[in-house]
Amino acid sequence: MAKFLGVVSLLTALLAASAAQAHAFLDHASPLVGSTVATAPPELTLTFTQNLESAFSTVTVTGPNGARVDTGKAQVSGNTMRVGLKAAGPGTYRVRWHVLSVDTHTTQGSFTFRVGGGR
Amino acid sequence: MTDPLVYARFVHFAATIAATGVVFFVVLVFEPAVRGAAADARVFKSLRTPLAAIAWSGLALAIASGAAWLVLNAAAMSGEPVADAVAADVLWTVLAQTTFGIGWLLRLVLACSLAAAFVRLLAADADKPLWLEAAAIAMAVAFVGSLAWAGHAIGGQGVEGVLHPAADALHLIAAAAWLGTLVPLALLLGLNANDAAALATMRAATLRFSTLGLLSVGTLLATGIVNTWYLVGSVAALLGTDYGRLVVLKIALFLLMVAIAAVNRLRLTPKLVEDRSSTAVEGARRQLRRNAMIEASLGAVVVAVVAVLGVLPPASHGHHASELAIPVEASFQHIHTVQGMADVVIEPGRIGTATATIHLSNDEGETLDARQVTLTLTAPTPGSEARTYTAEHNDDDNWQVAGVALTERGDWSIEVDALLRSGQRLDLKAGIVIEAN
Repeated sequence: MAKFLGVVSLLTALLAASAAQAHAFLDHASPLVGSTVATAPPELTLTFTQNLESAFSTVTVTGPNGARVDTGKAQVSGNTMRVGLKAAGPGTYRVRWHVLSVDTHTTQGSFTFRVGGGR
Repeated sequence: MTDPLVYARFVHFAATIAATGVVFFVVLVFEPAVRGAAADARVFKSLRTPLAAIAWSGLALAIASGAAWLVLNAAAMSGEPVADAVAADVLWTVLAQTTFGIGWLLRLVLACSLAAAFVRLLAADADKPLWLEAAAIAMAVAFVGSLAWAGHAIGGQGVEGVLHPAADALHLIAAAAWLGTLVPLALLLGLNANDAAALATMRAATLRFSTLGLLSVGTLLATGIVNTWYLVGSVAALLGTDYGRLVVLKIALFLLMVAIAAVNRLRLTPKLVEDRSSTAVEGARRQLRRNAMIEASLGAVVVAVVAVLGVLPPASHGHHASELAIPVEASFQHIHTVQGMADVVIEPGRIGTATATIHLSNDEGETLDARQVTLTLTAPTPGSEARTYTAEHNDDDNWQVAGVALTERGDWSIEVDALLRSGQRLDLKAGIVIEAN
């Protein structure tokens, strides 16, 4: 019995992997990743491949001058996350998201979108 | 490096199966066999102590390993180190606000209820009230089946969101009904067969176990196919990923167990039950006992594989993860169309000379083979000339362009034009942001 347990433990140790990897991936966003929109959007919507947990899921959006433009806590519903945005003029906006999927794994990523024409 | 989460999961799954296995064995196999064989309480009494040992140690280990699993998960979910994650508000957030945490609380309640049930279920007399037996079965089914909500079966969209956890719960219940009853059966088969009452009970129990085993194997097969479909999804993923190969190992072990079970059912059980010769019966009894232990050992290895699978990304989930490691100073763009996807990294993503790395993949995340790839960049200033570079294929399945001239900051236009090995043309356009120095 002891020998058997020893073999199983050894086998488990050999099979054990070190880190869990990302599970909920960003499927698409609105505004679209990398796109240019004419006017500042009132909110940002992120859609993921798996359902999310509201606790521990966050998103920050910074405007062209680096200040935060997201208003309040993001709303999570199923596999989407929504956050309101303050208008901050034309330029590049950077989104950084960090989510927890219901299967207990966290993922993160970032992307940019542009508001307004010209440079 | 070994992940403590794998050990916590292994102990928890094994302990849960062992404890619920005692319930399934007593209610579905043992007591009916004792009654059917018109055996008296002596037979039941002789197994009481070892069954109680399995039941109580199973529950205790399940609770202890469950606590470890909760703490390790709280640390992973919050990003805090384990010592800080034990702080009251992190644990409470996990318990009250996540699916995993709520499931955990439910299973703690069920573990305590099962403990209460065991006190009566494992008492010396062989006559238990029907309501107790039914309640114990219901709690055991919920205790092991609810583990489906602690793993990869949940979170899917649409039909998958309902079908996958349902199939996984049935899979877990069937596994506990088969694996969890093997060791108690082996214990029963270890009794002295010269005692007529014991032998009659063994015969009746082995027949009942045979039926239970058959139903379990059928359920494991059907639900296993559903699970594999959702978590692996293709033969390529099955053979080409660590996750997939572990599933292959699990299936191989399962088939080995089924082969042994077939020998038990088709050859040894009839011999035990019907043979006139006492030496043949004795031989069958010994062999059945040994086979049950061998199956239980293989089952333990399967549980170890499951413990590891739970911490790996399912093979079918590799969908949108970028193949490229994105350095902090780089500009990155992911261009996604129906025909295919491109990940473009321009490093450093600021004015000057940069290197562009392009990775092409199809909708399933598999790398697309191309014969030629060009990258065209157009500066933000209106009227700027487009500049086209031919990319070189490197060993990591990526295409690279060195010496990309970035002359101004802003929103550049990029176009990836690839002639695929299949002959198809992939033309992807997007913007990419280049910073000032």
